[in-house]
This record gives sequence, structure tokens and C-alpha cells, in this order.
Amino acid sequence: MVEVPRNFRLLEELEQGEKATSAGYCSYGLADLEDSLMYNWTALILGPLNTPFENRLYQVLLRCDENYPKVAPKVWFITQINMPGVNQKTGEVDLSTIEYMNKWKPSYTIHMVLEALSEKMTRKESRLPQPDKNSTYKVIRPDSKKPE
Amino acid sequence: MADVPKRILKEIERLNRDPVPGIEVNTIEDNIRYFNVIMCGPSKSPYEGGRFKLELFLPEEYPMSPPKVRFLTKMYHPNIDKLGRICLDILKDKWSPALQIRTVLLSIQALLSAPNPDDPLANDVADQWKTDEKLAIQTATEWTQKYAIEVWAKNPEVKP
Repeated sequence: MVEVPRNFRLLEELEQGEKATSAGYCSYGLADLEDSLMYNWTALILGPLNTPFENRLYQVLLRCDENYPKVAPKVWFITQINMPGVNQKTGEVDLSTIEYMNKWKPSYTIHMVLEALSEKMTRKESRLPQPDKNSTYKVIRPDSKKPE
Repeated sequence: MADVPKRILKEIERLNRDPVPGIEVNTIEDNIRYFNVIMCGPSKSPYEGGRFKLELFLPEEYPMSPPKVRFLTKMYHPNIDKLGRICLDILKDKWSPALQIRTVLLSIQALLSAPNPDDPLANDVADQWKTDEKLAIQTATEWTQKYAIEVWAKNPEVKP
């Protein structure tokens, strides 16, 4: 197996994200288009039909540090959501509690994280009362260390 | 890394034995397909005097597919975008397995001498190039000074 280095792997993911124009229930791209280290990614997930999340748009932040994809990205909901696996105070997602993501593999992608979150929204345990539409978590998410 | 094609080993061997003038190539991170490149800006170009960092990766399909390469140093050039991605035909549809790491890097160096604002990747830069070439060249020269000359002076452990 040829190991694709982090930066080229993320460039591939970026290209795939750019190609998938309005094709589905989620989209993603770089949070800062000038960040050549490609740390922070921003994504949108459309709440699935017939769930408490229907007709809502969820903004998600993903942070891919220098060890990605060997190590999972850190994931936060920016839009408030009441769902198992999401910290109610910070929006941080505990991937180890999300089906399909609980054992991270380097072959997993940002898109697959978003798919897994969307799938989680359709589960029975996620049928919970939701916060006001469009409310967001007001927390400071510490920046990961960036090599100088 | 058991199955590294002979072709790749041969190219690396030749790059070490007979380096391309003005271009340094070093493998990184124990990945024989992944390289750090330092490229000197061509003379009589706004990039002259600069030492530019790039990264290059040979995908599994190489040499049937082109190498993946991008600048890590910030570049003001109409065919290089903010993430350092390079718009060059041989890296896309004009790739041929007869080309090598060496020819790719020389082509990139040549692109620095001959920007092509009619086939832009960075639209704002290309527009600047077309409307006021003098100012564009001045900006490119300033960026070279800032990101490809002064940074090396600040990192004395990296020999220029």
C-alpha cells in the first residue's frame, strides 16, 4: 500500500469537496482558503427528513492536525444540536461514540465523518427535543498547535 | 515500502548522482515516494534570488499518472494558487510516462520564468498581470523577498 502524505490526501479531499456541488445533504471545504496547512475545515449537514433535525442546517468544524489521517480529525458542531455523542456545552463530537467512526482508520475521510454524523441523526436514540433553530455554541475552540 | 518500482529508485539514484542545478530534492518522512524540494528562482524573473519550497509525491499509479506537486512557499504567480497548487499541462492531461521528476521540476522552474496569465489558476493575480504587468512583477518580487529570501535568513540552521 502506498501511503499518501497528509497534505496530498487533504488536497484530494478538497478537490472532491469542490466537485460535489450541491449534490447532497452535506458539503465541506477549507475554513481558510489561504491556509496552506489545511488545518480547519468547515462543513454543512442538512438535517435528514423525518427526524428532529429536518429543515435545519448544521454547521460543523473539523480540525485535521499534522497527524491526520493517521489520527481522526477533531469535530465540533457550531450549530447547537441535542444528540448523543455531542457535548452539550461545547458541541464537540466524541467520534468514539459515533457508529462507523468508533475505530478510526486512515482510509476514513472528512466526507465519511459527515456521513456518519448524518446517519446518527436518523437513529432512534437521536429522537430528542432540539434547541432553537440556528442557535450556536459560544465557546472558544483552542487552536491546535501549528508548526512555525 | 517493499514494492518500490525500479523506475522510482532509478530516478532517485540519478537525482542524487547528477542533481538538477538550482533544485534540491530530498525524501521525507520515511516515505520514498514523498519529497521536499527547494527550487531557486530563475534569473531575470521576479523570483530571482528566492529559494522556494515545494513538496512532491509519486502516487501509486506513477509513472502512468503524473507526480503530485505543490509550492509550500507563498507565491505571487498567475498559474499558482493560494494553496500552492500549480496549473501546468504536463501535470494534468499532457503528462507522459516518459517524463520524470527531473523534467517536471525543470518545467515548474520554467513556468516561473514564463507566467501564463491566459491560463490562470489564481484569477486575481492573472487579472493584475494582464492589466498592470509592471505592478504584478513588482508584487511578485516583493513576495519573493519576503517569503523566499528573508525567511531563510531568519532560520540560520537551514543553510541557504
